[in-house]
Amino acid sequence: MELELKNISVTLSKKEILKSINLRVEDGEFISLLGASGCGKSTLLKTIAGIIKQREGSILLGGKALDKVPPHKRRTVIVFQDFRLFPHMTVAENISFPLKMLGLHKDKCRERAVELLKKVKLEGFKDRHVDEISGGQKQRVVLARALAAEPVVLLLDEPFSSLDINLRKDMRELVLDLQKEYKITTILVTHDKEEALTMSDRIAFMHNGEILQYDTPENIFKNPVNTIVADYFAEGTYISGEIKGNRFISRFFNVDINRDDGKYKCLIRPSALKVNKAEDGKFQVVAKIYQGDNYLLKINKINSSLKLESILNEPLDIKEGDKVSIELDKDKLIFIPE
Amino acid sequence: MKEPSSNKLLKLFLYITVFAILAPMVIITLWAFTNQWSWPSLLPTSYSLRAIKEIFAPYGNVFPILLSSIFLSLTVALLSAIIAIMAARAVVFYDFFGKDLIDFISMAPNLVPSTVFAMGIHVAFIKMSLANTPLGVIIVNLIYTLPYTINIMKNLTESIGKDLEQQAYVLGASPWKAFLHISFPLLLPGIIASITMAYIISFSQYFVTLLIGGGKVMTFSMIMVPFIAKGDRTLGSAYALVFVLSTLIVFGLINLILKKFQKRKEKYNWN
Amino acid sequence: MNKKTPYILIMPIVLLGVLFIYGVANGIIQSFGYIPAFNLRDLSLDYYIKVIKSPTFLDSLKVTLHISLISSILAAVLGTILTAALVYTGHTEGKIIQVIKLAILIPHTIVALFSISILSQNGLLARLLYKLGIISTQGDFPLLLYTKNNIGIILGYLWKEVPFVAYFSLSLMASINKTLGEAAENLGASRLKSFIHITLPLSMPAIAKAFLIILTFSFGAYDLPFLLGATVPKALPVQAHVEYIHPDLRHRPYAMAMNGLILLITWLMAGIYYLISNRKKLKGGSHERA
Repeated sequence: MELELKNISVTLSKKEILKSINLRVEDGEFISLLGASGCGKSTLLKTIAGIIKQREGSILLGGKALDKVPPHKRRTVIVFQDFRLFPHMTVAENISFPLKMLGLHKDKCRERAVELLKKVKLEGFKDRHVDEISGGQKQRVVLARALAAEPVVLLLDEPFSSLDINLRKDMRELVLDLQKEYKITTILVTHDKEEALTMSDRIAFMHNGEILQYDTPENIFKNPVNTIVADYFAEGTYISGEIKGNRFISRFFNVDINRDDGKYKCLIRPSALKVNKAEDGKFQVVAKIYQGDNYLLKINKINSSLKLESILNEPLDIKEGDKVSIELDKDKLIFIPE
Repeated sequence: MKEPSSNKLLKLFLYITVFAILAPMVIITLWAFTNQWSWPSLLPTSYSLRAIKEIFAPYGNVFPILLSSIFLSLTVALLSAIIAIMAARAVVFYDFFGKDLIDFISMAPNLVPSTVFAMGIHVAFIKMSLANTPLGVIIVNLIYTLPYTINIMKNLTESIGKDLEQQAYVLGASPWKAFLHISFPLLLPGIIASITMAYIISFSQYFVTLLIGGGKVMTFSMIMVPFIAKGDRTLGSAYALVFVLSTLIVFGLINLILKKFQKRKEKYNWN
Repeated sequence: MNKKTPYILIMPIVLLGVLFIYGVANGIIQSFGYIPAFNLRDLSLDYYIKVIKSPTFLDSLKVTLHISLISSILAAVLGTILTAALVYTGHTEGKIIQVIKLAILIPHTIVALFSISILSQNGLLARLLYKLGIISTQGDFPLLLYTKNNIGIILGYLWKEVPFVAYFSLSLMASINKTLGEAAENLGASRLKSFIHITLPLSMPAIAKAFLIILTFSFGAYDLPFLLGATVPKALPVQAHVEYIHPDLRHRPYAMAMNGLILLITWLMAGIYYLISNRKKLKGGSHERA
């Protein structure tokens, strides 16, 4: 079902945590709330689930207001980062807990729990105690338990951040598969931009209790509305300038670009810059940093304060101190109106 | 490695302590079964079941008093545990007007000797027709158990936290069901500790029960203490023995019932 | 979630709290001579003044302080040694702890019986000394019960309170010893030095709190002095009760004035404790966990 937040404001211990949030998630859509810690994204999740009450605004689910519905009747299920498995229950008891709350007969509960364990690829774990299983297995149990509650909206609160990096990939795939299969409207809270970019249909970028931008991953990456959003995805060097008649003009370079006239900042991310070794180059390499897949080059313009970064994919024989010339990839330049 | 000599001294101290605690228990056990133990013998000169038989003689009413006394103390213990669970939840999970005051009130009985309080409330209880009634005795006993039970429940409630209950809400459990299925089982060890603690405080109570009960509410201490006051070692010891054994039996039963309750719930969940 | 919930949860404790405060206040008001039921309506400090001036009261006060101070100080010292013994010999759980718990749950009335069967002139201790040839008749054994030295009462309290102090401070001392004590030893301090300079001072908050509890308890307690004390002077709570049940109801305010003084001294003890522990907290970091 589609979820709509209208002017949601939340105040906790006299501090305004969320400021007039508006957000619409379509039925079956997978969106991410992305932002640094403390931006209010987890609070928003809890507000949707009804654990935190909003001071103002309204939450609509399938067009109906949820505001007076208590948390246990909303079917907005949260999967928390710290798992929150019930420590006095076995794996299967944990999974059948929501079913029991729905009033299902215990045989039916058992049947369903076994089914769900199969879905999360944990057959044969049903009678294990929850402290006898690994972190990744716990995560699967938590997912199965959330699915057992038959959520209308699935809320994932940094669900992968307590897992080992190599486990995360598997879990992300599992979550996406299950989400597609059950077509559950899903909101993922994360501070991990890769996670948001790779998993979501749309990303809502949050900062200081506000949503700064809500767009598809591609758009939010390529056309950030301001420097905060732009920097969160990839930092680079900003160059101020002006667009006039479809041409960006600045102190350092000019380039043709199809944009409205006005003052702009041009963000040059490392990926937008190509470097060639050149004796008469106007730039000099000041550092060459190995990053595994590639090298990061830090380059300064000679006799200028301009500092740029570039990614070097092949180990070309560029060393620190070499003079180089640069080439800009026009399509990767980002223009942010001032 | 050789044991340091300080350890040997400490061990000696430990053994002396254990001996000092257990020896009097053995002595009163012997006294309870003594027929004659004359000076200067170190062991009874002859044994008998006289004292035990007298306590449980059909013409006496010791056994019914023991049972009603256990029942009264169990009532105090249960109420104390329930009130403590409630107060602990309020203080740990909520911000409300007068929260610090509640914290203070629940610890205040530690700072007012029960004799002082009992004499103070006595007149009021007479007016309220609570003096000389089991209810009056229960209330006064209850007040003096609460600092202990609230302390136990507060620590446990704090360490369990609210997170699991919140998880239960979003999984479809109403607040009451979330408490019943999640927090309550996790609080059980504390509940058992609270009940046993409150039980022993209430069951041991002599002065307060004497004053508020006015001799009308008979507890086991009421009938035991006169023999101790008289210095009757045989009967006093027999009563003391019954006191300790009945307490241990009650503790065993409390453990059994609450643990069973937990097991039964698990069975209901699964199997 | 619901704003009413906490108030519903605290309802019973508030009800009992009100009753408690009412009881204490009621006693205090009576100590000023206001008992309408007995036709006493004049508020005055006379009863306090008369009580404080009466030799009976002063003797009782002395006896009570004597009992509670000596028993509590000894219990704190021996209890600390017991705690250390439990921690350093690795007996922080198991059978010995069960034995210690047993001492905590035996009521004072039964402890009185222990005292009687062991410490009286024909008790087991006297018999033992006789067998060893140290005394020749029962009369040679010193009077320990029902007498002014109150040794029977003090030993009775020790029997219960040494285990209590140990039980109360055990977890703190064990955790401190595990981390800091071991670190100090690793740095070259001897076991005794690391105990005296590190473990003991840091365990003090728990020991001090246990001391306050047993001190105020034994000061206001009735059972042991009632069962084992001398006829004169009686311990304060016992004396107060004697006044309380006096057939002449005009004695009632005296009983209450004594109670008022018991309360005052108890609070004084608690006040001193808080002053000292707060000053310590200001001087150095607090490590209180008890």
